[in-house]
Amino acid sequence: MAEDIQRLRNIGISAHIDSGKTTLTERILYYTKKIFAVHEVKGKDGVGATMDSMELERERGITISSAATFCEWKNHRINIIDTPGHVDFTIEVERSLRVLDGSILVLCAVGGVQSQTITVDRQMNRYKVPRVAFINKCDRSGADPIKVNEQLRARLNHKTALMQLPIGLEGDLSGIIDLVTMKAIYFDGPYGEDIRIEDIPQNLIDNAKSYREELLDTASMFSDELMEAILEDKVNEELIYSAIRQGALSRKLIPVFLGSAYKNIGVQPLLDGVLKYLPSPVDIKNTALDMDQDHKEVEVSSEANAPMLALAFKLEVTPYGQLTYLRIYQGTIKKGDDLINSRDRKKIKVGRLARMHADKMEDITGASAGDIIALFGVDCFSGDTFTDGALRYSFTSMFVPEPVISLSVTPKDNKSEMNMAKALNRFVREDPTFHSHVDHESGETIISGMGELHLDIYVERMKREFAAEVETGAPQVSYREAVSAKAEFNYIHKKQTGGSGQYGRVAGFMEPSETGAYEFVNAIKGGVIPTEYIPSIDKGFQSCLKKGRLIGFPVLGMKMTINDGQYHSVDSSDMAFLQTAIGAFNQAYAKAKPIILEPIMKVSVECPSEFQGNVMGSINQRRGIIISCTEDGVFTTIDSEVPLAEMFGYATNLRSNTQGKAEFTMEFSRYSKVPESIAEELKKTLAEGARKGKK
Amino acid sequence: MKDFINVSPLTLLELSSNKELGRGNLGVLMSRAGVGKTACLIHIAFDKLFSNQKLVHVSLDDTPDKVTSYYNVIFSHLVKALDIKDEIEKRMLFERNRMILAYMHQSFEIKRLRENLKTLVEKLDFAPDCLIVDGLDFEAADKETLQGFKGVAEEFNVEIWFSALTHRHITDKNERGIPYPCSRVDDMFSMIIQLNSTQTGIFLELLKDHDNPVKPDASVRLDPNTFLVTP
Repeated sequence: MAEDIQRLRNIGISAHIDSGKTTLTERILYYTKKIFAVHEVKGKDGVGATMDSMELERERGITISSAATFCEWKNHRINIIDTPGHVDFTIEVERSLRVLDGSILVLCAVGGVQSQTITVDRQMNRYKVPRVAFINKCDRSGADPIKVNEQLRARLNHKTALMQLPIGLEGDLSGIIDLVTMKAIYFDGPYGEDIRIEDIPQNLIDNAKSYREELLDTASMFSDELMEAILEDKVNEELIYSAIRQGALSRKLIPVFLGSAYKNIGVQPLLDGVLKYLPSPVDIKNTALDMDQDHKEVEVSSEANAPMLALAFKLEVTPYGQLTYLRIYQGTIKKGDDLINSRDRKKIKVGRLARMHADKMEDITGASAGDIIALFGVDCFSGDTFTDGALRYSFTSMFVPEPVISLSVTPKDNKSEMNMAKALNRFVREDPTFHSHVDHESGETIISGMGELHLDIYVERMKREFAAEVETGAPQVSYREAVSAKAEFNYIHKKQTGGSGQYGRVAGFMEPSETGAYEFVNAIKGGVIPTEYIPSIDKGFQSCLKKGRLIGFPVLGMKMTINDGQYHSVDSSDMAFLQTAIGAFNQAYAKAKPIILEPIMKVSVECPSEFQGNVMGSINQRRGIIISCTEDGVFTTIDSEVPLAEMFGYATNLRSNTQGKAEFTMEFSRYSKVPESIAEELKKTLAEGARKGKK
Repeated sequence: MKDFINVSPLTLLELSSNKELGRGNLGVLMSRAGVGKTACLIHIAFDKLFSNQKLVHVSLDDTPDKVTSYYNVIFSHLVKALDIKDEIEKRMLFERNRMILAYMHQSFEIKRLRENLKTLVEKLDFAPDCLIVDGLDFEAADKETLQGFKGVAEEFNVEIWFSALTHRHITDKNERGIPYPCSRVDDMFSMIIQLNSTQTGIFLELLKDHDNPVKPDASVRLDPNTFLVTP
């Protein structure tokens, strides 16, 4: 328990899909002796890489769900979260970045900085995560790590420090040159476990000296001591390490390592770099919200003897029950402790504590500040804060994007119906971007998420993990409604059906809100509506926003103002004014010129330049707007904005347009008005769909 | 909204003989580092965009993200300075009428630019009226490159505005009064304007006016914060 927190690293491994991060993690686990054999992603041995714990991930050769694992390197403890590369699963990336102190940004030495790298980098900026970069796959044909380092500078706007140079490239890659120690490092043995250090080959010395000069120049910007040492020609390794660490911790510098995880080259020096340049929990300033002080932001201490504070950042179903991944920010958790969930103030008892290693685990008796652990059988949601009861703190809720796509799921039989309900309940708790509800008109279960692949994975998981056989409907875009003009209302709700009646009158106007969020303004004067009924009017309006009167989708950006009304001393009640508000809303809505909004996606396509015209044409055909086009060598990146409704099947279309040589990423950008002609068509289609649903 | 066209830096051209650069021609904005060359160039772009013209911004140095953020910052200044009420519509107008072509790591070739413009016209029906070229190294650029641009201007019937960096320590001028580095290639340009920061303010001055003599006092004073013409 008294382990030194400064010897702890919580890191993530984030990158573009297929840049080899799962292979890199596999090698890290092998060198830290957490596993004793290496299995490749999509390997011929059929075992699959250790971090791809879900069956589906092994089959597809991609990492979907982040798996946490723990290892030790040179007397330091390292918690690693392996994160998915596909943009549809970015909530996983976002969650892991929220709880991590540092990250390894993996890049492919051939593909370099790609659109997904930019997305992941942006996310790291949002959560202020210091990072080191690893340029992987230097053994591949076309590898150019120097160019990738340049791309990090130009495309991501980072100051970088190239820490190494390759010895040979592509098929001739045989080792690396350390530009700090000015030694050549070779990796012998079947899996590169035996490190051999030699002098730099003669033919590479001049180049190494020149890059070392550049490294010293960069590093000296972060340390006056190093600057002086350079001028006095008294540079030593410790000064360089310390300067680069200062740069990396301040997120103004990214140390860049290189190698090939697959060929077992460069992984151990990268691990050394993680210890040297990434922060321990005490180097990072974390904050929480104090609920007793009106959610004031307060700094968290990272002391092991301070009151306990932890964040549940991931939930997972395992054969042993629900597993909750927890990051402890301050204090200590021991087996048998009572914890309080800040959200609902419910008390839970810590039964079993474990350190996770992909899908295997190691039971532990306690853990303290900085650690990432797993608890068993805790009933909570992802994002919940736990305390020992001494503090009423909550961590800032993680940024969760709204789902943009929905589809209906129908169980094939009774057994599947029960299993589907269990599965959905579980998924909703695990993933805040995954939503599920029953459409009252059609009776169908609707699931919503961040993209086609996102929902596709959950449907597959229902089948595999919960034995729920389901049929899916066509994907449906999550439209929204909004009003575009000001409209007045003056509505009387009067009902007399025996017993006490219902009476209320409310007048005012609705208009688009400037903030984009729902606003309610009470401009009633002289108590024409008693204060006690005002919340019911607000509630009545808000209930109408859930389902707009135009096409039945939620209403965004509405401002409701009430300025007059009337009540009856006997017949007015909360219920009566709630109904009055609903009537008033309905009275004014059509007059306020409602419009349909659709999700607009930021789409970035990378392709060889010769296909630029085809790609631009394909985006244009989908009502897309090209924002920019960037040429870099033989590759072109086309950034655009395209309505989600037009993006179904785009992957297939793009493949056929570019001979399979292009790839794209897509993320939600904003809601925008649907053009009139399409809106009319959409209203007809949705009305028809609703009629069929009722039948 | 106050009328942007009346306070745009390109009002300077009102003092020229043709009152415009004209399609098929090249123009250059010269300035020392840090005076506001890029900001002024983007004002020229907004002059075209707010006149509902289509514009291609060619960046030889900066990423599209950076270029976009320049436009956004200057637009937000314009919104305040000109009291623009229909901000969303104006933003949509300039975003729809602007295309950014970025060429990173010496990827630029006249041939590629020509192909890209052709793609814009043929695949997107985006026929530009004006090109803004930012980041061309005039010290390294040879006549052949500028002739290539001239060919593009004529072929696509566009006017092209460049930015060129002058140096404090090189005060050479050619016999026509054009400073280095454009002094070597001034015959390629129909118009040359220079941004000068002096103790009395920032001035945009006309140095070359097609084949006509430049009128005396052909300069406008710019507000140092907004780069809009000020009395």
